[in-house]
Amino acid sequence: MPRQSKIDHGLFLVIVAVLAWAVPGAGHFVIKERKRAVIIFITITLTFITGLYIGSVGVIDPVGAWPWYIGQMMTSPAVGMLGQITKTGQYTSYGKPADIGQIYTSIAGMLNLLCIISAVYMAYAGRGEIIGEDEDV
Amino acid sequence: MCELGTLVATFTAPENIGMDAKNLLWIFPLLLSVAVIYKATKMRVIFLRRFFREVVILFCTLSFVMLLVAALLHVGVWRLTG
Repeated sequence: MPRQSKIDHGLFLVIVAVLAWAVPGAGHFVIKERKRAVIIFITITLTFITGLYIGSVGVIDPVGAWPWYIGQMMTSPAVGMLGQITKTGQYTSYGKPADIGQIYTSIAGMLNLLCIISAVYMAYAGRGEIIGEDEDV
Repeated sequence: MCELGTLVATFTAPENIGMDAKNLLWIFPLLLSVAVIYKATKMRVIFLRRFFREVVILFCTLSFVMLLVAALLHVGVWRLTG
């Protein structure tokens, strides 16, 4: 592979990773895995929103619960904006709803990390090599 | 605009979830999410019918294992404390 082409391919992988992080499913969308992208977007968004609904935006706490925040940040950089809002301590969440909300939002982030890796791997390997000739049975 | 405000307000206060055993049921939607994402990343080609079938199988397997672990832990605690 020529040097310029290798750089272009590397840049493409970075773009896929950044898009997959910015919007869940977007990484798969740009490599033309549309069905996969839609499924990932709906599932991760619903999981994250369910967590916010149960525990309120207070579960995103970059100060008091920063280990959870790292996981939550994997969902999207938009979580960082929510973190800036909740950093003031205006929205508090505690007890069981906070626990469940933190688990839901962090698992959504971890699942998106899996999707980022999957999208980059598919882009790296070339979609056709992975897909093969399966049939619906 | 008022409806949007009401919608946003639901995300500013936590839901009322008690400390009883019913709150353990919240694990099942999460298991469904894990099953869907795992299959969405692992399947070579997404054929919807087969995808849903495999998600259901994985969801049932995960649920069964979680229930088994919960039962074993419950028995363990009961033997230690009872």
